Amino acid sequence: MAKKNNKNNFGLYIHVPFCEKKCLYCSFYSKKFSGEQDFISWLEYIKFQLCNFELIQREKIFIDTVYIGGGTPSVLSLRIWRELLNLISEYFNFSECREFTIEANPNTLTRDLINFWKNNNVSRISLGVQSLNDSELKFLGRIHDAKQALNAMELIKNSGLNLNADLIFSIPGQNLRSWHNSINGVINSGADHISTYQLTLDENTPLGKILNNRDLNESGYYFYRYAQYFLPKKNFIQYEISNFSRKNFECVHNLKYWYLNNIIALGPYSTGYLNGVRYKNFDNPENIYYEYLTFEERAKEYAILNLRTKFGINKLNFINKFGEKILHEIENKLINFPDDLIYIDENKIILTKRGMRLANYIWSEII
Amino acid sequence: MQKNIRNFCIIAHIDHGKSTLADRLLENTGTINKRDMKNQILDSLTLERERGITIKLVPVRMNYKAQNGQEYILNLIDTPGHVDFAYEVSRSLAACEGALLVVDASQGVEAQTVANAYQAIEQGLEILPVINKIDLPSARPDNAKQEIKDVVGLDADNAILTSAKDGRGVNEILESIVKNIPAPEGDINAPLQALIFDSVYDNYRGVICYIRVINGSVKAGQNILFMQNNIIYPVDEVGVFKPGFTPVDSLGPGEVGYITASIKTLAEAQVGDTITDANNPAQNALPGYKKIKSVVFCGFYPVERDNYPQLRDALEKLCLNDSAITYEPETSEALGFGFRCGFLGLLHMDVVRERLREEYNVELVATAPNVIYEVVKTSGEIIEAHRPGDFPDVGEISEIREPYIKLSVFMPSEFTGRVMQLVQDKRGTYKSMDYLTPERVRLIYEMPLSEFIIDFHDKLKSQTRGYASLDYEFIGLRASELVRVDILVNGEAADAFSFICHKDQAYNRGHAAVTKLKELIPSQLFEIPIQASVGKRVIVRVNVKALRKDVLAKCYGGDITRKRKLLEKQKEGKKRMKQIGKVSIPQEAFLAFMQVDGEKK
Repeated sequence: MAKKNNKNNFGLYIHVPFCEKKCLYCSFYSKKFSGEQDFISWLEYIKFQLCNFELIQREKIFIDTVYIGGGTPSVLSLRIWRELLNLISEYFNFSECREFTIEANPNTLTRDLINFWKNNNVSRISLGVQSLNDSELKFLGRIHDAKQALNAMELIKNSGLNLNADLIFSIPGQNLRSWHNSINGVINSGADHISTYQLTLDENTPLGKILNNRDLNESGYYFYRYAQYFLPKKNFIQYEISNFSRKNFECVHNLKYWYLNNIIALGPYSTGYLNGVRYKNFDNPENIYYEYLTFEERAKEYAILNLRTKFGINKLNFINKFGEKILHEIENKLINFPDDLIYIDENKIILTKRGMRLANYIWSEII
Repeated sequence: MQKNIRNFCIIAHIDHGKSTLADRLLENTGTINKRDMKNQILDSLTLERERGITIKLVPVRMNYKAQNGQEYILNLIDTPGHVDFAYEVSRSLAACEGALLVVDASQGVEAQTVANAYQAIEQGLEILPVINKIDLPSARPDNAKQEIKDVVGLDADNAILTSAKDGRGVNEILESIVKNIPAPEGDINAPLQALIFDSVYDNYRGVICYIRVINGSVKAGQNILFMQNNIIYPVDEVGVFKPGFTPVDSLGPGEVGYITASIKTLAEAQVGDTITDANNPAQNALPGYKKIKSVVFCGFYPVERDNYPQLRDALEKLCLNDSAITYEPETSEALGFGFRCGFLGLLHMDVVRERLREEYNVELVATAPNVIYEVVKTSGEIIEAHRPGDFPDVGEISEIREPYIKLSVFMPSEFTGRVMQLVQDKRGTYKSMDYLTPERVRLIYEMPLSEFIIDFHDKLKSQTRGYASLDYEFIGLRASELVRVDILVNGEAADAFSFICHKDQAYNRGHAAVTKLKELIPSQLFEIPIQASVGKRVIVRVNVKALRKDVLAKCYGGDITRKRKLLEKQKEGKKRMKQIGKVSIPQEAFLAFMQVDGEKK
């Protein structure tokens, strides 16, 4: 596959920190909203960021991927969407935009919203399906059921937009059969891209207080391996640790994270990456946390992130960025792993399927 | 003056009120004002005060005006109340002419009391039975008297009934000491002979020897000879315990006091040694000196490897205070650099560990205690084996001997069955059983010390709800059918996990060990067999399954920072792993494994 990331262009991420109800397992930043007023002050926040973004003031930056995530972006009203899209188009140039994703929840997605998005260059909807089994959905504290998810997927496909479905595995009570049904269900609904996430419980979430990750992890193996087995049969290629897609439906924005491309982040609790520095926004738009890494840390992180994808580390690209010495250092650590975990040739280093299952183990060797 | 001196000690079981009684004696003789009295003033170590047990009281001198109008000097010398310090007990007793045998009015005679009372009788001390705690509602002084008669064999009709708590009977004790304990004998004109019954280290003055003068006299400036070590020191200061060190001109026969002579190490002034005048030495040393020998051993390792020098310094300093500790450097594959330390017994080991922690702030890991084995090789050569690694190959061993103890347990008769079962499980051999009273039983067994030191005391306590007391003495080495069990991890022997046990226990202990290791060793990229073997024969095997999944897929762009932190943590964990062959074993696994047996509940 040709690299879909043009270095000169930027990705744009906007965080919508609102949910109707927080899911029991979720540790992302979001809050309940009490009405339109909350959305307006959120818009003010973004406005403030845009006005104070030095980089933006000089010239209109070309954005080639947009990702609006959350939270639940689909809770925003049409009016807010209009203002938001108007606002960002004042500051950025979208003429070369080739991917525009918005996250949505099955129960808040309406035909009007989809049509509005479609008319405003949105190309892709990432739907929080999570499971097509009602008792699993209930356990997770989702406020939709399988039927609503199927309807939402139908709406999206009928509109002609690309569809990603998020699925969760290792849910207590889940079995391989229900996992198969969820995967198969979203494929049959026309998903072009499937993200599979293992249920990971943060101690501070309601579920995390009752359950322990260790209880869930071992079982994760079967689900993950099944996904790795079944999805390729349906022409979904695992192009990243947790992402599968039909050919040419890889999420370009997602890949930008793994190749450390520039991403501008707007909205509270969003994370961006600009010219080698990762930064994070907080409640107050004036407080920005910058994460400074040493050259070596950055190189190792780059290697690790590259290894998340099926493209792995492109040696030439790596040497251009960080030099030969550090590549050899990393390679020497990886060379001891058995062949069924890692593939190394003169051009690239990539994890095998089994390697992807044991990625943490391998990465911790590099870091 | 000599005829108005009384030297005595108190023999009592832990908790039977020794310290409180001592306090009361100090108060009644006016040695200490009631106002200045902090509770149990003579407990010197903080550890003792915290645990509420007294290992050893500080000696004290009291002036007492008796009812006959005469002034007496009463010297209270304490005996350590624990079997670990049996030798020190014998030396303290040797410094006295009499002993108070204190028995709790509701508990009766305990195992330890008997052992110490016998020693006192053996050394010719006058024994005054005292029944303490008569203020308690559960007090049964007549039963206690009967037990003293039946168990110890002393006439207790005239036992003094006392309550150290409310002060009843304390004056009677003082009168009885004056009346019944003989004055010390000794010739002031004979060459100096003084017994060191204890010595402590002081940062400013060096070693302070606690002495009892038998013959002759000692004063500052005199050159004295330590007869065991054959070294001479000039005396800096001579004094008595007022309490507190109070200098005097000289100490004559029968007197108890201390000397300082800028002695640098306790090893030079050992308990039991005889001090004499270097210019006019006595012909013979006083009898009874023994070199102290460690019987229980364990490894001390710093928790953080970098703290090794700190541990070494602390041990050095501690040994200035306690010459009974032996230590030598040792390295463990798992724990790095540390020390193999020898102790008089389990309590002694605990005390040392606590002191290192409390007084020197050293956090350490103690390996499970063990004993020294004697191995007779087929060549006839005899070697001492401290650790499993010292054992020769099975083919070269003709016999293995291990230290045995004679154990006596006193307990309410209802627990007899359970205790017998417990002792038998620990390879004990039955010797005798006596009913002390219809409700109390004394059991005597012989058992291997190695079984005793692991967790016997705790098990006994839980089996008898704390009602049993025990005492033991060493009865020498005996041949045993012992084997070394080796643990193989992925086919490679892991020395740190080897252990010695009786051949009948090899399977069970081996099974317990590999099962424990299976839990402790994390899954790796391949399956790892863990085996226990005796010689070449594998007796148990379990497998640690290969790692199958180690990735949490979720990682949004924003998570990268957090993700990296998690990976760094994982990496940190790997760094602390020890490589055995291809297998990485975390440090914690070694710790958990080594502490598994010795752990207290």
